[in-house]
Amino acid sequence: MLPTGIQFSTYTGEAGILKTNRARIGVLLIVILLLVAPLMSGPYLLGIGTQMFITLIAVYGLHVTVGMAGQINIAQSAFVGVGAFAAAKLSSYGLPFWVVLPLAAVITGLVSVLFALPAARVKGFYLALTTLAAQVLFPIVILGLPQDWLGGLVGLPVEPLKIAGYSMGSPKHFYYFTLALVLLATYAAYNLHRSRLGRALKAVRDNDVAAEVMGVPVLRYKITAFFTGSLFAGVAGACTAWFLQFVTIESFTLFASVWYLGMLIVGGLHSPVGAILGVLFITFLQEGLHEVATLVMRSQSHAVGGAVFATTNIVLGACILLALIFEPRGLAHRWSVLRTAYQLWPFPRQ
Amino acid sequence: MIKLLQVLIDGTLVGLVYGLVAISFVVIYRASKIVNLSQGEVLVFGALFLWTFTFGVKALGYDMPLWLGLLVTMVACVGFGLLLERFVFRPLIGQPAFAIFMASIALLVMLRGTAQLVWTAETRPFPAFLPGGALQLGPFMVSTKLLIGALFTIALTAGLHLFFTRSRRGLRLAAVAEDHNTALSLGVSVRGAIAVAWILGTVVATFGAIVFLSGRIVSLEVASIGFKALPVALLGGLESIRGAPLAGILIGVGEAVAMAYLDPVTNGVASNVLPFAVMIGVLLLRPQGLFGWKKIERL
Repeated sequence: MLPTGIQFSTYTGEAGILKTNRARIGVLLIVILLLVAPLMSGPYLLGIGTQMFITLIAVYGLHVTVGMAGQINIAQSAFVGVGAFAAAKLSSYGLPFWVVLPLAAVITGLVSVLFALPAARVKGFYLALTTLAAQVLFPIVILGLPQDWLGGLVGLPVEPLKIAGYSMGSPKHFYYFTLALVLLATYAAYNLHRSRLGRALKAVRDNDVAAEVMGVPVLRYKITAFFTGSLFAGVAGACTAWFLQFVTIESFTLFASVWYLGMLIVGGLHSPVGAILGVLFITFLQEGLHEVATLVMRSQSHAVGGAVFATTNIVLGACILLALIFEPRGLAHRWSVLRTAYQLWPFPRQ
Repeated sequence: MIKLLQVLIDGTLVGLVYGLVAISFVVIYRASKIVNLSQGEVLVFGALFLWTFTFGVKALGYDMPLWLGLLVTMVACVGFGLLLERFVFRPLIGQPAFAIFMASIALLVMLRGTAQLVWTAETRPFPAFLPGGALQLGPFMVSTKLLIGALFTIALTAGLHLFFTRSRRGLRLAAVAEDHNTALSLGVSVRGAIAVAWILGTVVATFGAIVFLSGRIVSLEVASIGFKALPVALLGGLESIRGAPLAGILIGVGEAVAMAYLDPVTNGVASNVLPFAVMIGVLLLRPQGLFGWKKIERL
């Protein structure tokens, strides 16, 4: 919904991602804010920011697979893990980051294609079960491979990221690196919606039988949906590897996958805004719970380490259920209602 | 030869335990069209209820006979099933399958969190309902506990199969498994069906816990048996009660053979990968499983 008095004489104007000057200024302000934020924040906030950017990239991927193409993927964390291990292994050979990053993404994409193949025969939750198999098999396979391949139970250490000889190991530098990637990913996610691929994916989501009849090669697009979503996951995985500077299977569990999905559902499946709002909301919730937990731990002497994880899980599960029952369109819908009301003011909203 | 036969016997018995857990999947799907990914957590809940009403109560100083503990556990399971129906699945009736599937995933993290918060992650002994030890049959050793479990599984399968195909109530549930909206328009109570599904699902899962865990140790990690039973349920066909134990035997035997002959070569991977390889194979070759309903789609 656009403010009154805005019209377009060309298709390019109509199809633009940022249609008005106000929107352009708004986005510019957000980017500037993100650019200057590290100058005013400590390492703790920087870490959360970086972590949020990485998560957002992974959730964008899920937005493509689940939100746009309607294919349930409960292995996003395993795919992030594949990207992380690929990046760790490749950078141990001394390859530069501009080789490692795309290669890790493509490897992750190819692995996901392997699990998308049953789309030839099944759909819906049956297809989701093959992604579940991917998630369950991921640690088994990593542990089963010889120790000197991918580290097995111990994990792989990762050299800090180096770009053209400069080390990007410090939190501030790495924040800017992930910021650049997340801006790129955001552009890609928005752009996908107005591309041929995006329209085909949405047709498959809305009714795959009808899409097939209309001449959309459904199987190819379902597999492409997984491939595209996993490219994002691979990038997020490579960033995770450089961020933690150590990769183990412990970081890529089923629970992480459910959290990614939860962020997307709470935020809203059908637009990239949903991914952003979901990641923000769940991250704030998580950090809030951590704060409360540390306070509780201080007041009571006995440690309650596992309880934090447990409570986070309960709250996240409750958030997903509440979103599914009361607002399946997610926070993104609430946000657009709010925006429309603001833009149409003083007229009543539609 | 004797080793192979022993492996086959062990595989069959363990497979029937998988079959029992798979039945708890199938009854939920067969009565309400809900694929419940959190079945492993439901099983852990059943096991923890049982621990609470036996050893937990004993630790508080009250002595409860084993049969009474079992009875109270079953009542708790029924309450648990009704609670899930009322607050999670009733509001989702008529929603797309995607929402219901997601709800079961949300339930997975929620139940795990609740179990960890209430009972903490420590491991506890599980009451020994079934006699331990092994029967000596000629040159073979047969675990008594698993043998009783296997007989129980077969009896339960026969009973549930009769319920679903012969009784009026069971046949109504089949309508719900076909389609929620059609069932509603034909006057079948979907709420009631979902309640029955979850009560049956939790009770059968608790039976599974009894057979699987009797005299062993219960911890939150036990939930992973849910993911092992999922390929079994899929192989047997999600709508088929009788398919579950049969598929359980197939996968159990396959796993046991892989464990005995392939694991030494593959660093222990083969037996773990096998159920999921079978699952993907089933999805590729025969998506409805061995005895499931084949679905025809129209535009």
